[in-house]
Amino acid sequence: MDHSELLSTLSRAPAAAVKTFAEHLLPALEPVEVLRNRTGLAMLPLRETAQGATFYLGEVLLAEAQVRAAGAEGYAACLGRDLEQALALALIDAAHRAGVAGPAIIAFAQHQAAALAAAEQALMRDVGQTRVDLETF
Amino acid sequence: MAYVAARGGEAAIQYAEQLHQALNGPLTAERVQLIAQLLPYLVDRVMGEGSLYAPELAALALAQTGGDLYEAVLLLRAYRSTQPRLAYAEPVAQDQIYTVRRISAAFKAIPGGQILGPTLDYSHRLLRLDLLDGAGAAGRVQPVTGSDQRVADTEHAAAADPAQATALDPSLPAVADWQRAMGLLEPLPDTPPPDPATLPDLTREPLSFPAPRAHRLQSLARADTGGTLALGYASMRGYGLVHPTVNELRLGYADVVLRHPITGASFSAGRVRVSQCEVVDTQVSSLRLGYTATLGWNEVKVIAGAMLDLEMDAPTPHPAHREEFVLYHTEAVEASGFCIHYKLPHYVTFQSGLDALRGVRDQGGEVPGDR
Repeated sequence: MDHSELLSTLSRAPAAAVKTFAEHLLPALEPVEVLRNRTGLAMLPLRETAQGATFYLGEVLLAEAQVRAAGAEGYAACLGRDLEQALALALIDAAHRAGVAGPAIIAFAQHQAAALAAAEQALMRDVGQTRVDLETF
Repeated sequence: MAYVAARGGEAAIQYAEQLHQALNGPLTAERVQLIAQLLPYLVDRVMGEGSLYAPELAALALAQTGGDLYEAVLLLRAYRSTQPRLAYAEPVAQDQIYTVRRISAAFKAIPGGQILGPTLDYSHRLLRLDLLDGAGAAGRVQPVTGSDQRVADTEHAAAADPAQATALDPSLPAVADWQRAMGLLEPLPDTPPPDPATLPDLTREPLSFPAPRAHRLQSLARADTGGTLALGYASMRGYGLVHPTVNELRLGYADVVLRHPITGASFSAGRVRVSQCEVVDTQVSSLRLGYTATLGWNEVKVIAGAMLDLEMDAPTPHPAHREEFVLYHTEAVEASGFCIHYKLPHYVTFQSGLDALRGVRDQGGEVPGDR
């Protein structure tokens, strides 16, 4: 699992699970310096299909955090305004980049990725059953 | 028009707010969560018109306002203005949308197939009175057990056991790309992808006409659903010049892809619900597409908006064909704000009008507008 996959998976993982996991990492990361932890907006552009223009669809509320711990900096952003979730994600990112609890982090991320994939598979199985082959008379 | 400040009634204003809350029930976190869970399309509409994807806050806005849509949209826009812009996400491409509904009224056999997805389009519009009488509600998708033998025999054989069904690939190709490959549509300009931070932005610059396409589509994305429908419907009924077909209607989830500021790795911070529609006009020498997309799932708005996108290029005086008329008058917050401002004290301006009227009458003159 590369860095992008790790971040993408954990950003969508349940906040409670991420916070609990980060709590377990904390003793190995102390002292932690929180460089930023705030809510804000990300503008979301979209490329349209009629003329190929790119435009702003709207903004998305984010919580982000950047921390320094165990000699590395970690960063994370997730949808919503849960600052603790963003902080926990950034701590996991810092630990991962510092080589602290690497196998445990990967195992946790893989477990979350499997849960997300299972939910997506279930949804897309249901969606698949709404596919129609239309006939005209 | 001149305005003057008025004062007084502070206690009455406080009681009025308390009375509003008392008549609408208690405002609790549980109630907000219920709204977010049970009314996703309403929450989507507030987010789309509020131009801010924040389901929890949109539900809160609905709870605070008792479901007054325009007030809820205003609350969300006001909150948005307090937040810093942290990042510009990577542009979303259509084939990257995690699609759960994609239909075309123009072609039966589109690549990837017609996917109805979550919809009540073909359902009976009947109130479920049995629910009020204590019957249980259906939750997760249930196996289809109807008597239509073709369903059991053919492509939906797995419907009897959803766990065995094949999961659909959510990355459905664009119908327009397929049409372009067949030479039915003009190819898209071969331009490098723009820097997401440098696009025209209505939240930071005024709308001017003719509007850059990015302004037009951003304006339609955050437009009032009712206003867009009213003008779009006027056009559909016969005031319009085109009679387009829905080329593609798509609902899905788009990843909000950001860059890690330290490593530069791109990652998804999460997914947002989006809807988009293309309509196609065949009454010209080559096919023309109209387009609208919005945050959240809102089919009426994107269909009507896509039709207006086609109409706004027409050289006729009908309001729905004028970009300035459409974009200004479908701006939900400005329109509703201007409407409700008439409730505010206008005592001085009205008194001024009365004074003028009395003056004319005293002089034996005729008041303009009198019959």
